[in-house]
Amino acid sequence: MRKLFLLLLLASTGVPVWLAAQASPPVVEAHWVLPTDAVHAGSTTRVAVVATIASGYHINDHKPTLDYLIPTELKVDPGKEIRFTDVAYPKGTSVKFEFSDQPLSVYQGRLVVEATLKVAAGVAPGTYRMQGKLAYQACNDHACLAPTSVPLTLAVKVVAAGVPVRRVNSDVFSRAKSARAAGAN
Amino acid sequence: MSEEFENQQSGAPPSEPDGAAGKGGIESSQPPLLPAEPRHGMSKGAKVAIGAVVAIVLAAALYFLNNRWIAPATAQQVRAAGNYPMAPDFSVTDLNGQKINLLDYRGKVVVLDFWATWCGPCRIEIPQFIEMQSKYRDQGLAIIGLATQDQLASVQEFYKQFHMDYTVAMSNDRTEALYGGILGLPTTFVIGRDGRIYSKHTGATSGGVFEREIKELLAASSSADSPDFKPAVPPNSVEDVDLGTPGEINHEVPGVDISKLTPVQLAAFKKQLQAKNCTCGGCKFNLLDCRKEDTTCPVSRKAAREELTKFQSGAGAKGDETKPAETKAEGSKT
Repeated sequence: MRKLFLLLLLASTGVPVWLAAQASPPVVEAHWVLPTDAVHAGSTTRVAVVATIASGYHINDHKPTLDYLIPTELKVDPGKEIRFTDVAYPKGTSVKFEFSDQPLSVYQGRLVVEATLKVAAGVAPGTYRMQGKLAYQACNDHACLAPTSVPLTLAVKVVAAGVPVRRVNSDVFSRAKSARAAGAN
Repeated sequence: MSEEFENQQSGAPPSEPDGAAGKGGIESSQPPLLPAEPRHGMSKGAKVAIGAVVAIVLAAALYFLNNRWIAPATAQQVRAAGNYPMAPDFSVTDLNGQKINLLDYRGKVVVLDFWATWCGPCRIEIPQFIEMQSKYRDQGLAIIGLATQDQLASVQEFYKQFHMDYTVAMSNDRTEALYGGILGLPTTFVIGRDGRIYSKHTGATSGGVFEREIKELLAASSSADSPDFKPAVPPNSVEDVDLGTPGEINHEVPGVDISKLTPVQLAAFKKQLQAKNCTCGGCKFNLLDCRKEDTTCPVSRKAAREELTKFQSGAGAKGDETKPAETKAEGSKT
């Protein structure tokens, strides 16, 4: 009975919200972030994809609570000069939704997915573009959108050995490190 | 048009029945061949006068009837037809291999549910649909679940696991486009016995809401509209039903009927769309790319249709008289 009442409430309040959201920006926007303005051949560095999830929506954890849910996944096309390994997803937030009997682990708000970028030895200086995507399936608490993805292009500037590189985006990586530590505890 | 009508009227034959004028002429100009019969009742003049009075009374009665009952009823039907569009027909094959045509369900109340196994809000609705199908099957309820953006194996497994005793089939792009593009799941249409869509619900909806609508539509006859039907949801959450047409299903400008444009006009129209920014909110595409990128977006669909109207009323559509462009069917290579 309580569930029926809540569903009725959702129907009466949720649909206008849903309709308003139809004209909103894409549910997830994402971009690559590098820790330095350039890299050297033969080096290894951590990179990140920073995603912003529209208010009121969530996307599923990379390891979803229920087996029928579609996981969030970072996919990068493999390249000869540059490769990605060790993709690390944060632990999602546990949220109880009306459509599920148990809390679900989801991402809301801001999501940072880290990966290790390896530049092959002997790669000539220049800019290398890597294509990838962040695949996700978004819902709000009363309806879901079809699975989709955000295209991602990463321009990696490789400089010759001895050319100094400058640290950038330190706030992103320090926050990701803190979040990782909190998730591990 | 009015001139043509007037010409037809002036050139039309006399409205009197054939021979009527001639008869009158004979009676007035020649003596009768037989002796006149004794007159039993009224004179001819009196008959004509009574006939005229009866005709006037009948006309008045008809006028009164029309004003009082016929016209309002017709207007109500027209209004109902305007508010409740016909559900587009579609054909799919269900999980049991049976071909399903929506037209075959005319006379039944149909709940058409676009859903997916990966969609939590969709899954919570399924048990109530199963229950309603069982409860109202004999009264003429048919529930059809169209699995959207899903894997056949997942749907088959779910179908068995949940003992879904109503028709389930895989959806397709064409069917979704005919229903205006399915933006969010679940999206459910409630269709009356007359084949009209009486309500649309996006998002998890209470079984009570569906049941009230179903009961009201089941009570209506199969041949009449249900002009008094009110969707069982608050007025501010009633959704417009924005359907697609077969002409709007194409890969060039999805959601816009370009079938009447020639290839030259189509190219010019696409340039016009490319010159416009999409206003769907932050997508950064031009209007043409926005349409292609997200065919379900109601904002870009409305904007593109408005651009077509402008194009057709402007110079762009008047410069080329060659054959209209062939609209490529959904699924064909462009």
